[in-house]
Amino acid sequence: MTRRTEDKGLARRDFLKAAGIGVAAAAAAGAAAVGPAAASENRDQRKRARYRETDHVKKFYASNRL
Amino acid sequence: MARMKFLCDSERCVECNACVTACKNEHEVPWGINRRRVVTLNDGQKGERSISMACMHCEDAPCMAVCPVDCFYKTDDGVVLHSKDLCIGCGYCFYACPFGAPQYPQVGNFGSRGKMDKCTFCAGGPEADNTKEEYAKYGSNRLAEGKLPLCAEMCSTKALLAGDGDVIADIYKERVARRGYGSGAWGWATAYKTGSSA
Repeated sequence: MTRRTEDKGLARRDFLKAAGIGVAAAAAAGAAAVGPAAASENRDQRKRARYRETDHVKKFYASNRL
Repeated sequence: MARMKFLCDSERCVECNACVTACKNEHEVPWGINRRRVVTLNDGQKGERSISMACMHCEDAPCMAVCPVDCFYKTDDGVVLHSKDLCIGCGYCFYACPFGAPQYPQVGNFGSRGKMDKCTFCAGGPEADNTKEEYAKYGSNRLAEGKLPLCAEMCSTKALLAGDGDVIADIYKERVARRGYGSGAWGWATAYKTGSSA
């Protein structure tokens, strides 16, 4: 049985380690480029009423009374 | 406070499906999903009626009651919305809804249907108002812009009404009084158990 005494280039485990670091670095760079995710509203904000009786809405009601 | 409701005056609906098309276009709704549909009863027979249907934003919404991940919430003006980040696509809300409103982008079993999609009363979702992220997930937020759902605003025969429940009920009552007849506000007794006087 022979023993492997010398490795040429990157060993398998070294390669996987290097590839993992590369992927992590690329993901971090990508996240930095995109910036923070759009702000989600908190519980109170999301339940807040959006409806307002604007002129636009009043016109809609008026047109339906014809 | 105003309570948002839909009302379809079936005496006026001519089954043109413009509300369905406008909704799909306004919100860029994915293939295979119609947030609104026109249902025709007694097609081709005497007494034929067409009704434009979507989520009715029920008072005691069954979808909210059955959701295992509690992804639904109701706004102070009565609009039932949901978070697609929380939805697991289980389909319970579809089985619970009396109007068949919840839709899924894929055909599959538990969890493989994709995120549920339904009418938002043109009020977006939990993301900040009128952002790209909100539009991508839920479509446009016309309510925050001071407008009403596009399906109702562009209805050429003024069959589909949307807005403050008291105002649209009043409009419908005026029409029934003038015409002398009406088919009733279809779905109101189911969706709005209290205050469904129209």
